[in-house]
Amino acid sequence: MKAESFVLTGALLFGVPLLAQGRPVTVTGVRGLTYGTVLPGVARIILRTDPANSGQFDIRGPNRNQVLLSFVLPAAMTGPSGALMPLSFSAGDAGYSQAQTIGSQVGFDPRQPFTATLSNNGRGSVFVGGRANPSTNQRAGAYTATLTLNVTVLP
Amino acid sequence: MRIITRLTLAVTALVVTSTVAAQAQTNNASITATATVQTPINVTAAQQLSFGNVFPGVNKTVNATDLTNAGRFDVTGQASTPVTLSFTLPATLLSAGNSMPIVSYTGEYAGNNLQTGGQVFAPASGANPSLSAAGLLFVWVAAQVQPATNQAAGVYTGSITMTVVY
Repeated sequence: MKAESFVLTGALLFGVPLLAQGRPVTVTGVRGLTYGTVLPGVARIILRTDPANSGQFDIRGPNRNQVLLSFVLPAAMTGPSGALMPLSFSAGDAGYSQAQTIGSQVGFDPRQPFTATLSNNGRGSVFVGGRANPSTNQRAGAYTATLTLNVTVLP
Repeated sequence: MRIITRLTLAVTALVVTSTVAAQAQTNNASITATATVQTPINVTAAQQLSFGNVFPGVNKTVNATDLTNAGRFDVTGQASTPVTLSFTLPATLLSAGNSMPIVSYTGEYAGNNLQTGGQVFAPASGANPSLSAAGLLFVWVAAQVQPATNQAAGVYTGSITMTVVY
């Protein structure tokens, strides 16, 4: 009986950390990047610290593991009859928060891969802002584009 | 025997766990960027500022409320949106090398072409009206010309430019 207990306890002790490390990484798009109403010829900038309009992704994965973040960023949004509105992203337009709070981000350049560390419980959030550049004769209407965040668990 | 069985189960569990760890190392998600572009501003010179015949030494004034002779600009754009008006106003009208002073500019704007509910403003200072619920704005500009007593006869003209921005 004593031997059985020892073996079972050993399996649990080793099994739990391995389970946590082995959690598959998941990424969730939480909030879109919203430029709202823009005027022809007037650029609109959304900061990554904007709690209402910045984009947000939540990440879950292995506890305390490093992950590589890389964006696929659109060059423009598409609007009525295929009209395009240029977008631009610059250094500091993205931020990573281990605590998953918009007020505790570490800024990074969304155009470059960035290495981040997940929290003790395997979580993190990425925030992103950017600039919309409507031309002076930009066609009126609704415009959309897709931003994709790739997350790779580093060994 | 029972001990060996339990140990085998534990090892099996660890192997399965390791297999899971080796999978799903990359994932991604997407969000949407959105924007709504408002209607661009369009400005049309709808009516010239016309003083008609003037006589040497007799000043002539056209009022901004004169729907026939005051100059008028028509603006279209995003409904109920504020805009800024600014003007380039000539100090003289010209005719073949002769000039005639034009002074005391006055203005009025309204959301309709009858000046109902119109607001007076000073073109030299500009104005900040809003387009109507239909996205319209009408702006009238008027002034006074001051022909000299020896003003040369002829047709005198000048250009007034209005700039509108959101």
